[in-house]
Amino acid sequence: MSSNETMTQGRKRRTNNRLWALTRAGIMESLQFRLGTFVTLFANLIYLVLVYYLWKAIYDSAGTDVVNGMSFNDTMIYLILATALFNFLEMFVVWDMSRAIQSGKIILDLLKPMKYRRYTFWSYSGAHVMQFILSFVPTFIVVMIVTGGAIHIGLNMIWFMISVIFALLVNFNIEMIVATICLYTESTWGINIVKETIVLLLSGASIPLAFFPDSLARIVKYLPFRAVYDTPLSILLQKNGSDEWLGLFSLWGQQIIWIVILSVAGTLFWNHSVKKITVNGG
Amino acid sequence: MVLNSTCNYNILDIEKENNRYFTSKGKNMGNEAIIMKNVCKDFKVLNRHEGLKGSIRDLFSRDYKTISAVKDVTLTVGKGEMIGYLGPNGAGKSTTIKMMTGVLEPTSGEILVNGVVPYQNRTKNCENIGVVFGQRSQLWWSLPLIESFKLLRDIYMVDEKDYQDMLDLYSSLVDIEPILHKPVRQMSLGQRTLSDILAAFLHNPDIVFLDEPTIGLDVSMKSKIRSLIAGLNEQKKTTVILTTHDMGDVDALCKRIIIIDKGMKIYDNDIEKLKSYFGAYRTLKLIFEDGSIEETVIDESKTDIMDVIKQNDRQKKIKDIQLIEISTEQVIKKIYEGGDI
Repeated sequence: MSSNETMTQGRKRRTNNRLWALTRAGIMESLQFRLGTFVTLFANLIYLVLVYYLWKAIYDSAGTDVVNGMSFNDTMIYLILATALFNFLEMFVVWDMSRAIQSGKIILDLLKPMKYRRYTFWSYSGAHVMQFILSFVPTFIVVMIVTGGAIHIGLNMIWFMISVIFALLVNFNIEMIVATICLYTESTWGINIVKETIVLLLSGASIPLAFFPDSLARIVKYLPFRAVYDTPLSILLQKNGSDEWLGLFSLWGQQIIWIVILSVAGTLFWNHSVKKITVNGG
Repeated sequence: MVLNSTCNYNILDIEKENNRYFTSKGKNMGNEAIIMKNVCKDFKVLNRHEGLKGSIRDLFSRDYKTISAVKDVTLTVGKGEMIGYLGPNGAGKSTTIKMMTGVLEPTSGEILVNGVVPYQNRTKNCENIGVVFGQRSQLWWSLPLIESFKLLRDIYMVDEKDYQDMLDLYSSLVDIEPILHKPVRQMSLGQRTLSDILAAFLHNPDIVFLDEPTIGLDVSMKSKIRSLIAGLNEQKKTTVILTTHDMGDVDALCKRIIIIDKGMKIYDNDIEKLKSYFGAYRTLKLIFEDGSIEETVIDESKTDIMDVIKQNDRQKKIKDIQLIEISTEQVIKKIYEGGDI
């Protein structure tokens, strides 16, 4: 092996090292706030009780056991898992970034020898790992036991995990774009609420997409939001043709296309806007 | 008093002096850490109107005004130099620093930092610089200091051996053992600043920017931090750009200072020359027999001190005489205010 090759390999290894270092720090930081995790779990419980009675009433008044191709059990499993997924995927890029801009602290992140978007993503990754272990996995196990075999355990779990990573990337890109918009508006709260509502509604996290009227469903089909919640849940629950290779690959394909589109758009937007931010602060 | 007329310095004279400095240094190229040539930076700011009506009008307004934060600044900083970069609040110091670090792009002019154009290669430039902002911390708030160090080691891709050497150097300069395992959020301001300075030097950068590193610190911590910076500069030959409002820092650390005011460079030379440059000032303190005290600031190139003493002695009997050297702080204050002491 030539020395040049060893050098590039050494650099690659160290690049991986620094991504892992950021993840590791994120994990350690989230462990500092373990109380928060329990509070989140408790809040979920209350939310899910509400969801349970709401949908029970909907099914009771419908008069049939199956509405829009989903039974009450299907809906509940879907919504509980969506909630768990929400806790895992939730990011605070918008909040954190606007605070960093207001305080001027963002300059310290901009002065790291890494691309800002990359640095941000890997800084958050550790918190996601912890959320997955502390929030999603326990919820999933509870749902699995309670529903007793309604969720198929098999390869779909692995396909689901891959899809979740894609979902994380789609969500991160949406967050980054909204955060960049906030640079211009300088008001974060309203825009963040709008984003949250749109994402939760149009992704199928609050109402399964099967319940959407046709016209809305057609629009939602061409939007990136469903790639965040609906797609991974469909794969886990073996819906939308994901139990066959063709269907599975087309769902993954859609997610990948959205990742590419959103990250290219987000990068261009960010690179253009970063010159503006630095005007403020200190 | 006589002073009003004698204190006004001539901008043109200073320019000449500055240019001489620039060209004489500029000959040995390749030895420069930072080169700035005719750098200008303008900001476009929206003209805001008063009141509710005005605020609504501002939403659609295209009425911008241009503010020049930095005007035609030319300077070079040699490798290993320690420069005091001074100026009153709002003079354009931070803007210059941001341009040197690559966060801001100059409107016109050239900047080279370690031979790299910073705003075009911000990421690459960042590998070779370190920054400390006295008001904020780059450390991971909830983690022990050692974890922040390890993270920075990985982010900057520092060799394990170099990292260990650096830690050894640190422990020879300051007593870091007690703070190494302390979470940053539990640290005192002094400990945190100290840690931030160590963190900025960790990847052995060629240039370190220190923006008010001693702000809010007590006297003993200040001197501790000063000797740490001096030690690191000496051991690692790091170029240091020090921005501060504390002239004690400048006196203790810098040989050369650059003063910027209203976006323009108004002084760039040795700190020793600064005092004589704006006149050979000394304060004469006369204590009279009757207990009254009179203080006079005298420019020795214009007035003879003995004359002043004789003149006073004729009126009242002098009991004691004190001659006080003018401090850097007083000179700088005079420059900022553009005249009187």
